[in-house]
Amino acid sequence: MSYAWDFSFLPNYGGVLLKALGATFKLAVICLAAGLVLGCGFAAARTSKYIIPRLLAGAYVELFRNLPAIVLLFWFFYTIPLVTGIGNDRFVTAAIAFSLYSGAYFTEIIRSGIEAVDPGQWQAARALGFKPVALFRDIILPQAIKKMIPALANESIEVVKLTTVAATVAYPELLYTAKLLSDTEYRPVEAYTTVAGVLLIILLPMTLLLFRLERGMRRSG
Amino acid sequence: MTYEWQFSPVFRYADMLWQGVLGTLMLTGVALLLALPLGLVLALLRLGKVPVLGRMAVIYIEFFRLSAAIVLLYWFYFAFPVLFDITLDPFGAAVLAIGLQAAAFYAEVFRAGLQSVAQGQWEAARAIGMTRAEALRSIILPQALRNTLPVFLARLVDLIKTSALAATIAYPDVVYAAMRVASQTYRPIETFTVLGAGFFIVIFCLSQASRRLEGRLAVGRRI
Repeated sequence: MSYAWDFSFLPNYGGVLLKALGATFKLAVICLAAGLVLGCGFAAARTSKYIIPRLLAGAYVELFRNLPAIVLLFWFFYTIPLVTGIGNDRFVTAAIAFSLYSGAYFTEIIRSGIEAVDPGQWQAARALGFKPVALFRDIILPQAIKKMIPALANESIEVVKLTTVAATVAYPELLYTAKLLSDTEYRPVEAYTTVAGVLLIILLPMTLLLFRLERGMRRSG
Repeated sequence: MTYEWQFSPVFRYADMLWQGVLGTLMLTGVALLLALPLGLVLALLRLGKVPVLGRMAVIYIEFFRLSAAIVLLYWFYFAFPVLFDITLDPFGAAVLAIGLQAAAFYAEVFRAGLQSVAQGQWEAARAIGMTRAEALRSIILPQALRNTLPVFLARLVDLIKTSALAATIAYPDVVYAAMRVASQTYRPIETFTVLGAGFFIVIFCLSQASRRLEGRLAVGRRI
């Protein structure tokens, strides 16, 4: 391999890279938070005893899980200005598209976590005279959360990875910034390798945590 | 909302979109051809008896599972050719990025499948005089593949969804075709609605097939 690596331009762009890291972080946190809220709401609807919320939540999950994220992103990119009547904000576009996308996955994780709790637990709590809210909060939820933690951690990793797709609508996160650096410095190898490395450094601790959680789960049954 | 939907300009460019569908199929197919054999080899190495090779397979699998597909695409398209002083068209870069990553996912599918076959099957095959390779080919793999069919389809769905990202390095897939149609018709909303509907139909059917198979295999296992 004869390529001469040269990272000397990187320090000049420290501020730019830090800003990009912040943009990635901001998008990931918002999508995670909104995705979880959507997930909780739609999971409640999916496990409802009424058919209409069940159908609506089912339609939501199927619609957003069965589309590529980039197609959603482009669709919202052109549709949001139409609804709001104002120009489109890249952050808002990406946040809406990816929150709805990951929300569908979170819905299924939370739903299956709740359904994985032994029906006997519901019956026993009801027999003991628990009111519905207290029953769910004190008996079902703690057990369900324990079951869904590995899947939630895994989906959080997916959300961080997903934020890079926002580069396609020029949201200035890490990947988009790598493209800018590469175009101005003519150093694509270093620019893209750096950004890939930064993303790995963010994701690696998350994965190690996930492994540990999974091992802990297996041990405690 | 007073927006007037007009789908007819989009359908006038149907040929362009179908051309894009071919591009997507081609990319998915070739990436799969790379990913399946490589995935099987990685799974065998990971389950094999040589610790060094097993460790390397784990590192490969975890690295690609942890990488964002679009970052890999950009890296293979913009950085890889410069690094090795070669020329690579968008198709080659997309096949490498998507295929190498899919190999990591399929390695896990194969591993789960191989592990799902009872140990007794190995022992029985060896007892009637088969070599390890023979046992793997005619006893273990057929059962393993049957068990993994639902997950195989689920990963195929992921592969199709990932292939949509190749448009970002100007590979002429269906998303890229839609981008061109959108700019020529000035009807981006309708174009991407049609695109979304197409993707939804294909992916929804594959997801449902995966779920049905899973249910059927679960019944078989209970008996």
